Amino acid sequence: MSQTPQWVRDLKPSGPQGSELLKEERNASNVNVDQLATFLHTKDGRERKKRILKVLESEKAFDKSQNYFAGRIDRFETALKRAKRLRQLYVEQNWGTEERQVANELISEPLPYGLHESMFLITIRDQGSAEQHQKFLKPAENYEYIGCYAQTELGHGSNVRGLETTATWNPDDKTFTLHSPSLTASKWWIGSLGRMANHAVVMAQLVIAGKRYGPHPFVVHIRDMKTHQPLEGVHIGDIGPKFGYNTMDNGFLLFNNVKIPHIGMLSRFSSVDPKTNQYIRPSSPSLVYGTLTWVRSTIVMQAGGVLARGVTIATRYCAVRRQFQDRDAPEWEKGENQVLNYTMVQIRLLPLLAATFALHFTGKGMMQLYEANNRKIRQSKEASKDHARGAGPEETESSSDLLSDLHAISCGLKSLASSTAAEGLEVCRRACGGHGYSSFSGIGSYYADYLPTATWEGDNYMLTQQVARYLLKSARSVLKGNEPTNDTTAILSYFLSRQDQGAAFDILGDDADVVSAFAWRSAFLTFEALKHRDEQKRSWNSLLVDFYQLSKAHSQYMVVKSFYETLQASSTSSELDPDTQGLMHKLFRLYALHTLESEASEFYTSAAVTVRQIQLARSSAVMKLLEEIRPHAVRLVDSWDFPDWQLDSSLGRQDGKVYEDMFYRASELNPLNRVTVDPYPNSETLFRKDGSGELKSKL
Amino acid sequence: MAKKDFTDDLRPHPDADGAKKLASERSRSSIDTDELANHVFGSAYLERQQRVLTALEPEKIFSKANQANLSRPDRYKLGLARGKRMRQLMDKHGWDEADILMAEYLIDDLQPYHLHLSLFNSAMREQCSDDQRAYWTPKIESWEIIGAYAQTELGHGSNVRGLECQATWDQKTKEFVIHSPTLTASKWWNGTLGRTATHAVVVAQLMLPHGPSGKLVSYGPRPFIVQVRDKKTHQPPESIAVGDIGPKYGYAPMDNAYCLFDHHRVPHSALLSRYASVDPDTGAYTKPTNPASVYGSLTRGRSVIVMNARLVLARAVTVAIRYLAIRRQFRDRDDANPEGPECAVLDYSTVQIRVLPLLAATFALHYSGEAMRELYERTRSTNALDGDQAQLAELHSTSAGLKSLATDLAANGIETCRRAMGGHGFGGGTGLIQPNADYLSKPTVEGDNWMITQQAARYLLNRVEDVKKSPAGESRSRTDDNLRDYHARASTPPKSRQLSDETIAAAFEWRVSFFAFEAHRARYIQKKSWNSMLIDLYKLSRAYAQSMLVGNFYLAMRRSTLSCSTTTEVLGDLYRLFALNTMDAEAREFQKSGAVAAEVLDTLPEQVLHLMQKVRPHVVKLVDSFALPDFMLDSALGRYDGRVYEDLFNRAHRLNPLNRLTFNPDYRSDEIVMGAKDGADMLAKL
Ligand SMILES: Cc1cc2nc3c(=O)[nH]c(=O)nc-3n(C[C@H](O)[C@H](O)[C@H](O)COP(=O)(O)OP(=O)(O)OC[C@H]3O[C@@H](n4cnc5c(N)ncnc54)[C@H](O)[C@@H]3O)c2cc1C
Ligand SMILES: Cc1cc2nc3c(=O)[nH]c(=O)nc-3n(C[C@H](O)[C@H](O)[C@H](O)COP(=O)(O)OP(=O)(O)OC[C@H]3O[C@@H](n4cnc5c(N)ncnc54)[C@H](O)[C@@H]3O)c2cc1C
Repeated sequence: MSQTPQWVRDLKPSGPQGSELLKEERNASNVNVDQLATFLHTKDGRERKKRILKVLESEKAFDKSQNYFAGRIDRFETALKRAKRLRQLYVEQNWGTEERQVANELISEPLPYGLHESMFLITIRDQGSAEQHQKFLKPAENYEYIGCYAQTELGHGSNVRGLETTATWNPDDKTFTLHSPSLTASKWWIGSLGRMANHAVVMAQLVIAGKRYGPHPFVVHIRDMKTHQPLEGVHIGDIGPKFGYNTMDNGFLLFNNVKIPHIGMLSRFSSVDPKTNQYIRPSSPSLVYGTLTWVRSTIVMQAGGVLARGVTIATRYCAVRRQFQDRDAPEWEKGENQVLNYTMVQIRLLPLLAATFALHFTGKGMMQLYEANNRKIRQSKEASKDHARGAGPEETESSSDLLSDLHAISCGLKSLASSTAAEGLEVCRRACGGHGYSSFSGIGSYYADYLPTATWEGDNYMLTQQVARYLLKSARSVLKGNEPTNDTTAILSYFLSRQDQGAAFDILGDDADVVSAFAWRSAFLTFEALKHRDEQKRSWNSLLVDFYQLSKAHSQYMVVKSFYETLQASSTSSELDPDTQGLMHKLFRLYALHTLESEASEFYTSAAVTVRQIQLARSSAVMKLLEEIRPHAVRLVDSWDFPDWQLDSSLGRQDGKVYEDMFYRASELNPLNRVTVDPYPNSETLFRKDGSGELKSKL
Repeated sequence: MAKKDFTDDLRPHPDADGAKKLASERSRSSIDTDELANHVFGSAYLERQQRVLTALEPEKIFSKANQANLSRPDRYKLGLARGKRMRQLMDKHGWDEADILMAEYLIDDLQPYHLHLSLFNSAMREQCSDDQRAYWTPKIESWEIIGAYAQTELGHGSNVRGLECQATWDQKTKEFVIHSPTLTASKWWNGTLGRTATHAVVVAQLMLPHGPSGKLVSYGPRPFIVQVRDKKTHQPPESIAVGDIGPKYGYAPMDNAYCLFDHHRVPHSALLSRYASVDPDTGAYTKPTNPASVYGSLTRGRSVIVMNARLVLARAVTVAIRYLAIRRQFRDRDDANPEGPECAVLDYSTVQIRVLPLLAATFALHYSGEAMRELYERTRSTNALDGDQAQLAELHSTSAGLKSLATDLAANGIETCRRAMGGHGFGGGTGLIQPNADYLSKPTVEGDNWMITQQAARYLLNRVEDVKKSPAGESRSRTDDNLRDYHARASTPPKSRQLSDETIAAAFEWRVSFFAFEAHRARYIQKKSWNSMLIDLYKLSRAYAQSMLVGNFYLAMRRSTLSCSTTTEVLGDLYRLFALNTMDAEAREFQKSGAVAAEVLDTLPEQVLHLMQKVRPHVVKLVDSFALPDFMLDSALGRYDGRVYEDLFNRAHRLNPLNRLTFNPDYRSDEIVMGAKDGADMLAKL
């Protein structure tokens, strides 16, 4: 039942209408959206998305209309309802991994089975023995066991070796006792644990006969299968509301001397021999960081799409939003300017638009490298079964040159990509002015849910130390005169051989030279850092900021290189028409030159470019690129192919009906408008009439 | 209340005892926090804070324990209840205006009455004629009416001249007809109006009939006082549609509004007519009598923004520094002892580089806000100095740049601090979620931070034009001095090799002049389009604002009368930290303008690192001197006593309502809350 009077319903926005403006935008550009979308997402991918969208849209459980209004408990309940329905759909529709991922992206909120479906299953699969697969994996895959991955504690997250929870071996009855010796030993942040899980993979310090063997994974039964109450000696709960991620029950967990059987310790790589009470080590301790590298590559891969959501919303809205006349507009030209025409708005949005493609291609490249490597390793190391998620960044060691290269790159790129996406979303939101602050912009809550990505799977600052460590190691090897074995050592050798002649990169005229300039800067910074560490013997701690810069520089080089290589690939020229290819080159240059300009000092100090070049990059090249890309902005974001249902945004609507939708949500969907208030301070009545529940029950 | 259980006896690991860690931090520094607190806030402010705090603390309604869990309607309801209680306390304790502002700040929740207290009140005060003021003031002060300020529309915010809402004079009935011709003419974003207000100042295009044809002509946007809801029923009349615009990034308890008018009639007296009026007999428009200098109030407003920005940043930095001084993670890599204790993460330079420059920025903002306030106060008293009026006129134009920089620094600073805290930074225990979300409106409201930089830049271009026209003319302000000085010496840039406190400040000024002249050349000589220059203008405005922050900080250091020598020294280090870190971030501009020699710029990162090490032992005491009460902080991580982990656990275990429900996790069962028989129930709902 609408509360809105007829005279209001008859009103239209003042012209030109958003829909007309977007139509004009689309007419002004010849980008073939369909072709570009297929290039980005593949034909299969796009069809899959359409198919799944159709199913989800028709399910009442996934109706999004009250998402922005509800409180935490309602949101959690609704999320659980959705999670159940989604799981039923997996079964009914026979959805595999890819379909499931697409469904989750479309629903766009963390669901309470999340950690069960990812980390719990993966860990048991990767680290469990055949017997354990039989005992734990089966019921877990069947959702009888609902699990989580409990590593982080109140007192320790990054430093996994510092975990306090203990698992002490009892030779007498062949059990382990799990115990939390202090409050800071409480598991914390564990997704799907707070209210959901009945089992957990718990990382605990293995103790045998008083000796500590470091953190190991244990499968622990934590809640009763019938009553769903915590078992004796187990204490669990949800940690409370957070910045975002509020549809997830991140939890805490404490043990008061809880015994579990011998089989609870996941024993593919290490175990306790129940007969001898001896710790059995893996034959070769080189734990491959496969899973970690894979998880980080996925984050890189997704970052482009995450950012593209913000960019899509902001670009469409800024093409519809008009404010002020151009100051230099001729007298006769009436009408206000689309804010997307202001260079001040362009400089915020268009480099981010370029970054969406840059990150997407980089992520794709990473995944391919990862898979190629995996194949190689599988072939060369038939016998080896070393494949596991390390207990944490510090636990990891190198086993092959290529893989360690890949591992380091994945650390640096994870940090760069997730920071770019997170910060970019906020830039997009702010570029929308006042309406960006409304929940209906669709950016705010999405940003809040994305933010932990900057912290988990390796804190974005901390991770960069691993990149630096790797680069220093590579530089030492190059200095010793070793032949280059991968791209990193290759660019370092090149720099070494040329540093006395200097470089003369034509960054304004030649795309390949742009990539070389980025490589040069990265190599320069690597040798500078090496000098500080090895010659000047500076402390590790005093170099952390340099390392951070170094990692960023190297990762930016990787992104620029991937973007460039994608454009060079023959598949690109066969799949994209020449105009679109040309536009992609412009986006490449915009990303590269804008980055170069923001990091101008480093490029200058490394002598990769001259002051004059930097100045030209900024004052003419970037400005010109903004102008050339501007007409295509709307079509370019269209090619990201986000359904309105996924964006759930008034500002980002495909059809440009921004104002109509803002108004509709405010006046029709907003439960607060069903309330009549008593505003006078001396009356204790707050609401004279409270109809705010009506909307909820009507859904 | 949770039952007793084994967790009641658990304590944090001895190495994670926050209370001990903070005690040892405090014993490391000889800063006199009382003196510094007085230096920053003054004793009157601190006394007021204490007095109001004492009145608020016992009131249950201000407890924040559950507020983050509430739905939007409940959150509004809570805000309303708090607003009422605050007003009742005001009456009870006889609070004055400053007291009530302090109460709002300490309660730390934007209540639905906020616009009544702020924009509505000031608009009525400034725009009413004397008669109107006499009529309305008592009603406003007693809250007999509750007001809002309705300027922004769905289609227009920044461009006020583009507003679509019209107020057309009807000579026959001697009324104004307020009307919204389109959907985009709907008022939008107006706080307090959505559900709470009975009245609003509505800004509408004044339309008067012109000439014999009676053709309507617009006289620009003017303010009208309009009753929007009935005193008894609290319902709007049929000719007004008004409601709340829905949830936002922050400001959940505030009912920002939409509001539309369908030929709604208001009497002649509705036009607020201090500066402009319509003759009721002839319908003639009386021009604004040249409004007396409005410079003052804008500058005052902007100084308030800067002072608030510094409080917000102080809050984020307080939480971050206390927590990061307690948090231990990893051993130092260069520590030879494999069993040595873990490092405080605040000792890692990648943590310091994010947080300590923000601590320095807090002081930088403080001294600029204070300088603005003092200038404003001097110009209103007899103590005015010679150049004060000219300086005020200048600030009027340039403070837009400072608004932009200050609110950016604070908004981004909270987020930087939050992320620096790792996982716990994402949790509710930071106490920063709501302030962060609320504060993020500031870069947009009162002049979008990008857009308004054009104001400051335009002013500078005009000054350059003047200086070039008459290089020997008289200097009217500090900026004039600098531009003239630059003009005379432009061919011999200083390229400073030594960065003394004084040359640092001078380098910032040189950079501004250089880019102001560059921009001037582009616009006046090369005739570049305004639009193509916007990015340069933005940078120019930022350079100018940074120079203001550095310059005011420098002057304050020179005048400092602190008796504690450690404090004086540390503040000096903070000055250099702020200035040099800013310079490092903008190094290329300093190089290009010839303000500082390139080799010197290369040494900045090391100098910054060194300064951070010098400041490090004092940081906990420095944030203590901000004197932010725990009541306001509401932060497990930022508690004064350091009991971080105990508090985090208490919030999760004892205060969290989600833990009172048991959920059924089995996907095959439609039951959601166990035993609640809500399976069918929820299904029906969905
Ligand atoms: C929403 C969310 C969900 C999560 N889900 C799970 C889950 O399901 N299971 C699970 O086990 N965990 C989970 N986590 C925990 C997450 O993995 C950790 O929070 C993360 O690893 C960061 O660790 P921390 O919190 O200890 O940060 P800290 O290490 O305490 O970081 C604090 C600060 O110190 C700095 N720092 C730390 N060490 C160093 C160093 N050596 N050098 C320089 N700087 C340093 C960091 O950069 C950071 O600025 C989740 C976290 C969040 C926010
Ligand atoms: C929480 C909140 C509370 C508010 N409360 C009130 C209230 O009580 N009463 C009231 O009347 N209003 C209120 N407002 C409205 C507020 O004043 C406006 O939203 C604000 O002025 C920004 O205007 P806008 O939304 O039109 O932004 P827009 O001008 O539409 O900005 C969109 C984008 O265009 C850019 N842009 C615009 N013009 C130019 C230009 N000329 N050159 C270059 N770039 C440009 C901006 O930088 C921005 O990126 C509130 C807003 C918020 C978010």
